[in-house]
Amino acid sequence: MEQNAIYELLAGALGDGALGFTENALEPWAAVEPAKVAAACRFLRGDPRLDFDQLMCLSGIDWDGLDEAGKGKSVSILGYSDDGQPEQSDRVATGDFGVAYHLYSHALRHKFTLRVRVPRDAATVPTVSGVWSTAAWHEREAWDLLGITFAGHPDPRRMLMEEDWVGHPLRKDYVMPGLWNGVPLQGQPYNANPFPVTSGGPDKPAGDKPAEG
Amino acid sequence: MSRELTPPPAGYDAGREHMLDFKVDEQLLQVVETDAKNFILTTVDEVFNWARLSSIWPVTFGLACCAIEMMATSATRYDIDRFGAGAFRATPRQADLMIVSGTVTAKMATRLKLIYDQMPEPKWVIAMGSCAIGGGPYFKYGYHVVKGVDFIVPVDVYVPGCPPRPEVLLDGLMRLQDKIRGRKGRFIAPKWVTDYAKLIPYRK
Repeated sequence: MEQNAIYELLAGALGDGALGFTENALEPWAAVEPAKVAAACRFLRGDPRLDFDQLMCLSGIDWDGLDEAGKGKSVSILGYSDDGQPEQSDRVATGDFGVAYHLYSHALRHKFTLRVRVPRDAATVPTVSGVWSTAAWHEREAWDLLGITFAGHPDPRRMLMEEDWVGHPLRKDYVMPGLWNGVPLQGQPYNANPFPVTSGGPDKPAGDKPAEG
Repeated sequence: MSRELTPPPAGYDAGREHMLDFKVDEQLLQVVETDAKNFILTTVDEVFNWARLSSIWPVTFGLACCAIEMMATSATRYDIDRFGAGAFRATPRQADLMIVSGTVTAKMATRLKLIYDQMPEPKWVIAMGSCAIGGGPYFKYGYHVVKGVDFIVPVDVYVPGCPPRPEVLLDGLMRLQDKIRGRKGRFIAPKWVTDYAKLIPYRK
């Protein structure tokens, strides 16, 4: 089915929840109200004319400094300086967060893309893990790296970072820690000796105690 | 088989002067030729170093794309088993060497330290590839990458490359063998060796 026709069906089912369809894009997409996204997904999967049985990908987006087409001023990412110190900045990110749902129907062989946009200070989207169970891991990852909360998620834990990690690293205003749990993440200066002395000298290899019988 | 040791010949001096004039002792020569044909003189250090450098067993431990090269090194074409290091052990308790082959993330660093601590002494570490040496391409923006595994465990040999070819890893292994070969005076003999040594008679 053509994507226009899919959107017509979706708009008919959602009413005010459907916010528009963008056709002139590499991947045409429909914007929906965040509160209605679970209902939209349930409709897209359950309707026999659409039958979207696979959630190909669920992506979290930080729109800070970008418009919806992905254009805008480039936002510098904070890293480590050449001296190995974490770069600090007082810039405050203000852009919205977004979530994109890429759907596919194996039976009918058509695709569709949904997008929602939520404000940064209230980034909460209803979960769709009840519609496609694979969404549970995708949503965990989006929460882990961007801090988008998925209301009603059955297992809201971190996916990639350690459990006690502080912050969400893919946010545009994230500042890296220099040390985490005793593990140094800070880099060495570029001009310093790349081979630090970790032993008592060339005769005493590092960590090399005499063997005991 | 019982053996009757010959008594010392007449005029056998207690010092070492008799060793300087190489008079052939026929009876001793007979003993040497019949009972103990093969001699080797060495030191305990050398023997243990030789044994250790000839059987450096690595722990099965791969982190990233460098691990693919490590696997290629252990396969038939490059065959790390030629150097006695082909027995990748599934448990760190049996391993001597940890090849840190790939990017060390902060999450993995705690596990890596745990595995290193579980390995028995003596143990060695090879940092393989740019990431393990100093963070590599993740130096500037890698919020999750440890900028060099030598922050976590002491490293013996650094093998550069991204990833290093198998030849380079083999070269790093040979440098580690050189390092082990040069270990001196770091061996404390086990108790059974010292006990056995007390049984050997010696002249004052």
